[in-house]
Amino acid sequence: MSAIVFYVLAVITVIGALGVVLDRNVVRATLSLLIAMLGVAGIFLVAYAEFLALAQILIYAGAVTIVILFAIMLTRTTDLNINLDNPQRPVAFLIAVGVFVLLTLTFIYSDVPQLAEPDSVAVAIAESNSTGFETVGDSLFNQWAIPFEIASVILLVAMVGAIALARGDDNEPAVDASVEINEVSA
Amino acid sequence: MSANVNVNLLTPEFILAGMGLLVLSLDLVLPKARRGILPWIGVAGLIAAVATALIYRWDRVEELYGGVFIADRYSLFFFAFLVILGGAVMIASVDYVKQHIKFPGEYYGILIFSILGMVLMASAGELLTAYIAMELLSFSLYVLVALRKYDSKSNESAAKYILLGAFSSAIMLYGISMVWGVTGTTFYDGIAAHLTANPDLDIGLIVGLSLIVAGLGFKVAAVPFHMWAPDVYEGAPTPVTAYLAIGSKAAAFALILRLFSEGLLPAIEDWRVLIATLAAATMVLGNLVAIRQENIKRMLAYSSIGQVGYLLLGVASLGVVDAGGAVVFSERASTGIMVHLVGYAVANLAAFLVVAVVYSRTGSDQISDYRGLAKKSPYLSLVLSVALFSLAGLPFFAGFVTKFYLFTAGAEAGFLWLSGLAMVASLVSLYYYLRVIQRAYVDQPSEGDEETAVERSTFFVPLTSWLMLGVLFVGMILIGVWPTELAAAADSASDALGTVRDVSTALVR
Repeated sequence: MSAIVFYVLAVITVIGALGVVLDRNVVRATLSLLIAMLGVAGIFLVAYAEFLALAQILIYAGAVTIVILFAIMLTRTTDLNINLDNPQRPVAFLIAVGVFVLLTLTFIYSDVPQLAEPDSVAVAIAESNSTGFETVGDSLFNQWAIPFEIASVILLVAMVGAIALARGDDNEPAVDASVEINEVSA
Repeated sequence: MSANVNVNLLTPEFILAGMGLLVLSLDLVLPKARRGILPWIGVAGLIAAVATALIYRWDRVEELYGGVFIADRYSLFFFAFLVILGGAVMIASVDYVKQHIKFPGEYYGILIFSILGMVLMASAGELLTAYIAMELLSFSLYVLVALRKYDSKSNESAAKYILLGAFSSAIMLYGISMVWGVTGTTFYDGIAAHLTANPDLDIGLIVGLSLIVAGLGFKVAAVPFHMWAPDVYEGAPTPVTAYLAIGSKAAAFALILRLFSEGLLPAIEDWRVLIATLAAATMVLGNLVAIRQENIKRMLAYSSIGQVGYLLLGVASLGVVDAGGAVVFSERASTGIMVHLVGYAVANLAAFLVVAVVYSRTGSDQISDYRGLAKKSPYLSLVLSVALFSLAGLPFFAGFVTKFYLFTAGAEAGFLWLSGLAMVASLVSLYYYLRVIQRAYVDQPSEGDEETAVERSTFFVPLTSWLMLGVLFVGMILIGVWPTELAAAADSASDALGTVRDVSTALVR
């Protein structure tokens, strides 16, 4: 049963992901991204990861998609009609197909213990009667406290940097320095 | 469960993070005219962090959270080295930032956060922590590269750097997920245990590790993942270029060294030839393409790609297989890498600082414009020559000794051909370094030549840069003639890598 649900969700996710890269209209691509995100949230649910599913819907499907739409709305002066292709397109296609084949073969022939017995893991989680929240909280703030804190510093840097780069200035751009300095030193 | 975690161990890291915040918030309250003290507050904080780390962690070997964070001599060596390096870049930026950058608070604050990312890369004992520390460094660098936002070259290089940086991070993360899938762990010691128990590598592990090597290759700009480096180096503010060339590379090698010696050493037979090939391609291509560069920042970019080749030679020599078939960790190679990193950092920072000073006077980075530098400023051209000689590896300067350590280790590990190639590559590099020195000292304007930018300008080296250049000059000579103390420090750091840690105080994971 869960296998059928998984494949349905997987197909939805892949269709959404294909829409993101194939659609030339940025807004439609963003909405395809939303579909892909929701599909992934469903897959998390099938895997008994309720917390991740919730976070996926709230943060990725909700917040991130909205932010992308806002960014498109605020930055787009004209429709993006410029040609984004270049002569390397066939080469890029070949490399992409090559990587795809390589990764697929890797997953077929690789011995991943977690893939061998997925049911036992799922059953164990289901039987522990945990919603996943405790597990996630415990590992975030105990085992993985250091990377968690580093991630918050990254967000701070990204925010400060984005504001510094985006904010307007009170005065005009700096004059080219060489002129300025020669006067000072003279 | 977490009651016995010794959070005090992280005090130096907390000091760094706190200093970053302090500088950012002081920028808001200080009047514009007083913001010149920001870098000095930052430097004071960095000194405090190094002092705390040296005093508190001198003889301490401890792990937090079962090896997520490791405090040992190796971490300590890189903590001191990287923080001092960051402080030196900070002092070297003072004059440049005053003239060219409108956000001193953001510049220095983010610089301190990037130092935090670097030191965590050296002490992480686990792939995810190492990855996210690397992201902290990368995000800070994206912002720093873009900070000259009215300069279209800076914009171009920032766009290239962000796109390729994000791409390479994703590649590495994908590799980490595959390694986790096969081994069930992201801890270096766990990966080593898995490799020892399963000598035949699973295909998933091979692909995963290759992706990790590719991602790290992007970060250190090893051939064939080097294409972004010259463009980004050329457009970034010059002190940031220096920081990219030395800081981010030193931190990435700190990560690589720990990962390869603590995690991947059991499988050395499977990757040493691959790394050696990368090393050979990197040193040959970097040094050959450098010959053709007309812009000095691009030339130094290719020369630093060449230096990455030498360092990769050290990585390939990290282990030797003894007669019984067991893999033995080669402390000589890891010492060689650390010593060479220090020598390379000092010389490269000096070279870039001269370039930054010349640029502020003349607005030009063209090598042809360096004609007449010796007449205008004997001091600058002396420091530049010593820095370039040191990078080339001439005796009495830092580069000679450090290359000697590195190439001997390579030869000992059986890479005689690669060490020979490295020496030939060094000779090639001497040629294009000498071209710059010839420009500065020998070239005379012939009849009808226009004046070069240097000849047209009035010269005056700002005090901060003058002093910093002096310190770096002394450093290059000192390492060149008296490297024993540095080598001893690197030796004891290598010891820490080679031994199994006493983890009695660690949490059970």
